[in-house]
Amino acid sequence: MKAFRGQPTIFASAQPDDRRAELEVKDLCLNFGGLVALQNINLSVKTGELLAVIGPNGAGKTSLLNCITGYYRPQIGQLIFNGEEVTGLRPHKITKRGIGRTFQNIELFPGASVIANMLLARHMHCRYNVGLAALFWSSVKREEVRHRRVVEELIDFLEIQTIRKELVGSLPYGLRKRVDLGRALALEPKLLVLDEPFAGMTLEEKEDMVRFLVELNETWGQTMILVEHDMSVVMSISQRIIVLDFGKKLTEGAPTKVQNHPDVIRAYLGDTVISQPA
Amino acid sequence: MIPLFLSQRKTGGTGYSLSTMKATKEHIDKRTLSAFSKHTFPQVLALQAKRWGSERVAIREKDYGIWESYTWHDYLQYVKQVALGLLSLGLKRGEHVGIITDNHAEWLFTELGAQSLGAHTLNLYTSSVTKELTFGLNRIEAAYVIVQDQEQVDKLLEAKKKLAHVRRVIYIDRTGMRTYRDNPWLLSFAELLERGAALGQKEHERFEEELGKGKADDLALMIMTSGTMGLPKFAMLSYQNIIDMARKWLETSPIGVGDNWISITPPAWIVDQMWGVGVAICGGMVMNFPETPATIAEDLREIGPAIMITSSRFWEDLASKIRVKINDSGFIKRRLYHWSQRIGERIVDRESAQKSIPLWLRFLNRVAYSIIYRPLLDRVGCSQVRAAITGGHPVSPDVIRFFRAIGLNLKHAYGLTEGGGVFQVQPDGEVKPETVGKTLPRTKVRIADDQEVLVSSPANFMGYFKDPKETAATLTDGWLHTGDAGYFDPDGHLVIIGRKHEIMRTKGGEAFSPDFIETRLKFSPFIKEVVIFGEGMPYITALININMETVGDWAEGRHIPYTTYTDLSQQPGVEELICGEVRAVNEQLPSHMKIRRLLLLYKLLDADDQELTRTGKVRRKYIYEHYSKLIKAMYKDLEELAVKGHVRYRNGHVGTIETTVRILTLT
Repeated sequence: MKAFRGQPTIFASAQPDDRRAELEVKDLCLNFGGLVALQNINLSVKTGELLAVIGPNGAGKTSLLNCITGYYRPQIGQLIFNGEEVTGLRPHKITKRGIGRTFQNIELFPGASVIANMLLARHMHCRYNVGLAALFWSSVKREEVRHRRVVEELIDFLEIQTIRKELVGSLPYGLRKRVDLGRALALEPKLLVLDEPFAGMTLEEKEDMVRFLVELNETWGQTMILVEHDMSVVMSISQRIIVLDFGKKLTEGAPTKVQNHPDVIRAYLGDTVISQPA
Repeated sequence: MIPLFLSQRKTGGTGYSLSTMKATKEHIDKRTLSAFSKHTFPQVLALQAKRWGSERVAIREKDYGIWESYTWHDYLQYVKQVALGLLSLGLKRGEHVGIITDNHAEWLFTELGAQSLGAHTLNLYTSSVTKELTFGLNRIEAAYVIVQDQEQVDKLLEAKKKLAHVRRVIYIDRTGMRTYRDNPWLLSFAELLERGAALGQKEHERFEEELGKGKADDLALMIMTSGTMGLPKFAMLSYQNIIDMARKWLETSPIGVGDNWISITPPAWIVDQMWGVGVAICGGMVMNFPETPATIAEDLREIGPAIMITSSRFWEDLASKIRVKINDSGFIKRRLYHWSQRIGERIVDRESAQKSIPLWLRFLNRVAYSIIYRPLLDRVGCSQVRAAITGGHPVSPDVIRFFRAIGLNLKHAYGLTEGGGVFQVQPDGEVKPETVGKTLPRTKVRIADDQEVLVSSPANFMGYFKDPKETAATLTDGWLHTGDAGYFDPDGHLVIIGRKHEIMRTKGGEAFSPDFIETRLKFSPFIKEVVIFGEGMPYITALININMETVGDWAEGRHIPYTTYTDLSQQPGVEELICGEVRAVNEQLPSHMKIRRLLLLYKLLDADDQELTRTGKVRRKYIYEHYSKLIKAMYKDLEELAVKGHVRYRNGHVGTIETTVRILTLT
């Protein structure tokens, strides 16, 4: 019955401890050879917060996310998640600690169906081993049923019922982004890291995505870090914004404060005003 | 390997799967059926629940990708909970309940729940805008409204001040509703069920007491008639009306217990009402509800219904979709299809001419069936259909011929809301494309002096709600005036010419029916909608909406670039294409009915712009007024005309279109 819709178990049954996501980034530095990508970045994320990271092209936003999720190893600095140090851990280890992510360029398996892509994220929560799986033991069956249920509830939440059996490769871009988000959610992350979730979307697709993110954050208390180009969206949904430019943190604060900060305006619009020829 | 879920829901069904249910051919006997006429729908449901309990499935709904089943016992329990829930809120006998839902199980639970307390229900379209909803709810002074989701809640909140009679709004889907929690006007359906269960604990016999008070000739529900003529009217139907209609169907059609019905027409329409609370309950059919309105095609295929009644537009769309797909397919498939289509058409032609079919043709048809028709029908979810019925607007005889040729038993039916549903159906073996068939039992149909079709039957409605004047005009001495003109052919089949008030005459005094011409044009896969003009004019003209999908494909195939609908419709290549289609139809029409000039409208006719009714019928009068400039231009020596049009979006925003429309002349 549809009367029991809108209550995905992984959200509704999450305990306060499952939602706890306190991230501390201390003096983070990242170099590629002689190129400085990130320089002394300090930031903290609190449980239930929606933090946006903005900045012009090449500011180091994605590098920062890649450090947090373990794709890059910072040369200097510390990452502390829920009181444990996670600096330099491999990506899968970090995912196990509860940090899930989506990708700017959508890293899904194009030859697999939407359901298969999303079920894959449930791998982390599988408790059975290869032997039991080969026998398809009743406990395995029960678990598989549960995983499918979790995925189906997310499909329902993201309103992608019509494409659940389609191959990801055949889907339009906006829908793939939604599947990417669905896969990240299937991990049951404590901290969700989104790399440009609105890039290349039509207005309607953006509106849908905003609706999902706001509901995740406000209704279900999902902690999120959001890297985004689209300023208008960022300003309307995030509680706190961090601005990066050339690998440095320019400023940090509430959307209205950041919006009018002179350094931010300069970073986005340039230094000097070119006077119009007479 | 991905197993099916087991039923995990605490309050849900009992987890039957489709395959465990035996296909049966058990029928409800006539005596039992006639006994049902003395009961209300909830009372019949209680009898069926007693008979079948948890043995048989009554409702199936797709949830989270799996078909979940509700047995007759579950069904009654939910109805009971809703009823007691509404009772605890304070719903009184004789009050009205508005229902604004899509096709989901909650619709039936709510409707039967309210009716078991002696309340009357009215279903409204979920696609209606706030103004239409407010009008309907205020007219019936609804005490409670059950709505689908946040979208509907928002519409009602917007008009809350005007909805003085509405005591509570109950929403079904809780998605996105968290911020509304504190609003005391709103209540979730889950909470309603809890309230009902709590009251049931306290007062065990209360539901049965209330149920017993219902009488068969009480008002059961109201249906808003489509209002092609202006403001909608509210037709009142009693339990007896609909149960009588259900009996007619069960006595004449091959419907068995456990056969599948898929609920895809809006519950605000007579068809799903007639089936959901009538035929399905009396005949033990299974009501199947799709997952979302967007997954209907897939869900339809999975269910494979035994009988279908849909609007003519459904079949027209399906026919053009099949044709387009076939044209896009490979050489071998295309040749095989055309070969089998020819065989099928020869059979249909011989059948309608009542000639015998030679053995070799039967054999070829058999072959064509197994290699082409059956896979094709399976693709569109119609392989199990024993009777496919089209109602509402007349459908082109060509569409009927098309589907019958590929082995689908598609036939015409005729009926109207005021008549309690469909009362004319073509019997098997006597299908004639141009007629609407023979009259169902216990129904009398006669033709008045002015050719109007009159009908008398126990299923005739009780009258219009609070409108004795209209009631008196429509219902005289038990005869219902249908407003359609028609005649009986020599075999006793009824032929409908068109709406009585829509029969038109040209300047030369020759009569024509715009409907007649329009339906023939609409069979072209490239034409979506047509409106014909010519009353009091020297010749006939047409305003045409192209089918964006098929014409778009066609244009892409010819490398014609286009942007929007407006742009596509004014491409010279497209104009030529449509003129060709119109010419082909002109050849079949008598000379005074031939279309001489036409134009391709720059926007799609839309219900939001009041150009169509919510069931998709053209509101002719409105279009005449709204586009009078364009229509007049077709009777002048103009080649083109600059126009400024308006488009209303769902959010109430009005956009403007400025363009030049060319007027095309056919030679």
